[in-house]
Amino acid sequence: MRAGGVAILSDRYGERVSIATLDLDLDVFSGPFDLLLTLILREEVDLLELALADVVLSYLDHLESCGELDLETATEFIVLIAALLELKSKLMLASESEEDLLDMEPEQAAEELLTRMLDARRYRSAAGHLKELLAREHGTRFREAPPPAHLRRTELQPQEGGTAAEGGGQDPAILGEAIGRLLALPPAISLRHISAQRVTVAERLAHLRGLLRRGAFSFDEAVRGADRMTVAVTLFALLELYKRGEADWRQTESFGEVTIEAVAAQPVAAVAG
Amino acid sequence: MSGDAGLARTIEALLFLSPDPLSVAELAEAAQAGEPDVEAALSVLAERYAPGARGIVLRELGGGHTFATDPATEDAARRLFSRPRTATLTPAQAETLAIVAYLQPVSRPEITRIRGVSADSAATTLLERGLVEEAGRSQFGAVMYRTSTLFLKLFGLRSLDQLPDVARWDPTPEEQAELRERLLRAGEARAGGGPTPE
Repeated sequence: MRAGGVAILSDRYGERVSIATLDLDLDVFSGPFDLLLTLILREEVDLLELALADVVLSYLDHLESCGELDLETATEFIVLIAALLELKSKLMLASESEEDLLDMEPEQAAEELLTRMLDARRYRSAAGHLKELLAREHGTRFREAPPPAHLRRTELQPQEGGTAAEGGGQDPAILGEAIGRLLALPPAISLRHISAQRVTVAERLAHLRGLLRRGAFSFDEAVRGADRMTVAVTLFALLELYKRGEADWRQTESFGEVTIEAVAAQPVAAVAG
Repeated sequence: MSGDAGLARTIEALLFLSPDPLSVAELAEAAQAGEPDVEAALSVLAERYAPGARGIVLRELGGGHTFATDPATEDAARRLFSRPRTATLTPAQAETLAIVAYLQPVSRPEITRIRGVSADSAATTLLERGLVEEAGRSQFGAVMYRTSTLFLKLFGLRSLDQLPDVARWDPTPEEQAELRERLLRAGEARAGGGPTPE
């Protein structure tokens, strides 16, 4: 388990170094983040004594001083810290039962283990016996339906002024009419005027790319005459274009026109900043 | 209706109507008869509904008496109802059920401790199938479980006393001694080989 965690961490760590330079000043460690990781992996720093919350706080401080959120670094940090948390939680859980046994004399521990094994074995065999019993009963069925309503144990007291023979003093016709009104179904509501809109991001992407090829255009142009669903999906498509570095946009005032234009050549650098 | 024959007919009708096994006390109360008379009527019925005599047999299950079909009719019944009487148990469900059957009332953490793996999904399935039911809470607030009447019915048991002593599946003292020896050696190896504090 520990070895697996190490492999994951070192893989991630080998890929990038951008988060590595984060400087930490913690109770049990002070130095760059990558050194901390290395020490944890070599088990020179005890993960159990390390307050991971402090690492997160240091990172937040670091973010504040940088003044901007670099998504790639943030993602990497989250992955690393999550891996550390998982590793730590596993260490903590394992320590419960393992340490119980470690604290004991070998003889005691063997006895404890033996008791557990016997328990498990005992009920596994009992389970086998139950399965045999069930198999032996194969083909036997029972009445499963509940007894008829008039035979269920309910005590209905006849109402004042009537006798049981008269149905508790109620005129059956009145009861019938009352229940009849409740049982009548309301007219079905017609759904014919609602039609499901099917717009895919791919369709709108193609549409936007078509417009882009002709030069800059405004978002209003791109969705002229479209319904709300199409506008929303077009916005998703636009975000996708932006993410891929194909398009950029400008808006000079709030609620003003959004101008969209193609991004030339260096798409990756433009996005990553 | 006169005498024993009348009572036997009444008991027969009650058993026919009830989906659950009926105890002698319940039958006596409903039929307004003494328990010895009910017992006598039941033995008359037991003879009439002996295995092989009819399509229905009288069984004593789950702390009471109930009618059940003769297993010989199963094929036809399955064609009529198009599904088996009960689904089989997975190993995890069978183990969980065995622990509940022998140790009831017992909580999920206790079941998990004995099995060494979580019993939550197995316990939930057994609850849904009605084989186990809740039986109050432990002093620590965990829900306790016990087996249901349906369990006894489906497993062909009159009562829990019919389950064999669980100790019969324990290994022999020699096997236990050998197991202990092996564990001890493993423990010593670990204590000697591992990193030791101080």
